[in-house]
Amino acid sequence: MEDEAFTNISGKPITLDCQSHSSFCREFTVSSPKVSIGKVMVYTCSVWLIAYAVFFFTQNTAVLSSAILITLVGMMLHIHFVKVDHESLLVIGSLGIQVSSIYASGREVTTFIEMSKIKDIVINEAIYMHQIIYYLCVLMKDQSEPNGVSGVVPLFQSSKPRLNCLVKVYKSCQEILLKCQ
Amino acid sequence: MVENSPSPLPERAIYGFVLYLGSQFAFFLYCVWAFVPEEWLHSIGLTYWPQKYWALAVPYYLLVALLVFFVVLFGINMTNTAPLDSVDNITDVFAQGQKTDVYRKGGIPRLKDVSISEVNKMFYLSSETQQ
Repeated sequence: MEDEAFTNISGKPITLDCQSHSSFCREFTVSSPKVSIGKVMVYTCSVWLIAYAVFFFTQNTAVLSSAILITLVGMMLHIHFVKVDHESLLVIGSLGIQVSSIYASGREVTTFIEMSKIKDIVINEAIYMHQIIYYLCVLMKDQSEPNGVSGVVPLFQSSKPRLNCLVKVYKSCQEILLKCQ
Repeated sequence: MVENSPSPLPERAIYGFVLYLGSQFAFFLYCVWAFVPEEWLHSIGLTYWPQKYWALAVPYYLLVALLVFFVVLFGINMTNTAPLDSVDNITDVFAQGQKTDVYRKGGIPRLKDVSISEVNKMFYLSSETQQ
């Protein structure tokens, strides 16, 4: 279990947890900061104040009830579909890797990629919106060309850790991949 | 072959002055058309002019177009940026089509694109042995 002060690209603190299950199986979990209760209160209060102001001028009670409904439904959709709690990468030598995202409501989305399809796991730099970020990605093999890359699967997309965290995960992954790919 | 240089020349001074006079005259014409009432222009004999509405509309259109242009240009740049899961961030047609020459002993190797796996190994894995 390792817990240094890592941050994501916006500066918010994240935690990295490396577990070594065996000599050829390692699991990395990057946890994003949790939903803060202060932010939730600020959003709901501002939405309800605006709705009350609109009601004050239009005297239409549907505005109030629809504001309540929108905040409730919006919060449920957000924690179920948008807010990622933690993302994990499980590397099993000569078998494959498993990438999974767990959302704040408990929903889990998992993908498994076979080792025969994986060319390498690398840290790449790319333009993202207005900045250039480092991100860890899996390069997929190309059937037709021996050295070609047919696809790229970026990892840790929701938490977007910075380079110090990525280098740690990269070194650990490469130890396994170089041994048993 | 005459060298092209941006230094001032007599011909360029004349072009500049002609452009200056032309633009001042065009602005004077625009002000006359915008301010002088239509009856006076008709009484002189100049009847076929565009509507006065355009004296205001054209500058406004140009300014709004300029503002929208900056926003749209920013948006086009963002749209054309390759997403993080595209192969264009890793390699492209030219890098894949490069020849691999046999390395001659003592010779300078051919300039080529280094694959991202090698770059990563050099940056992040070899730091324990070097430095």
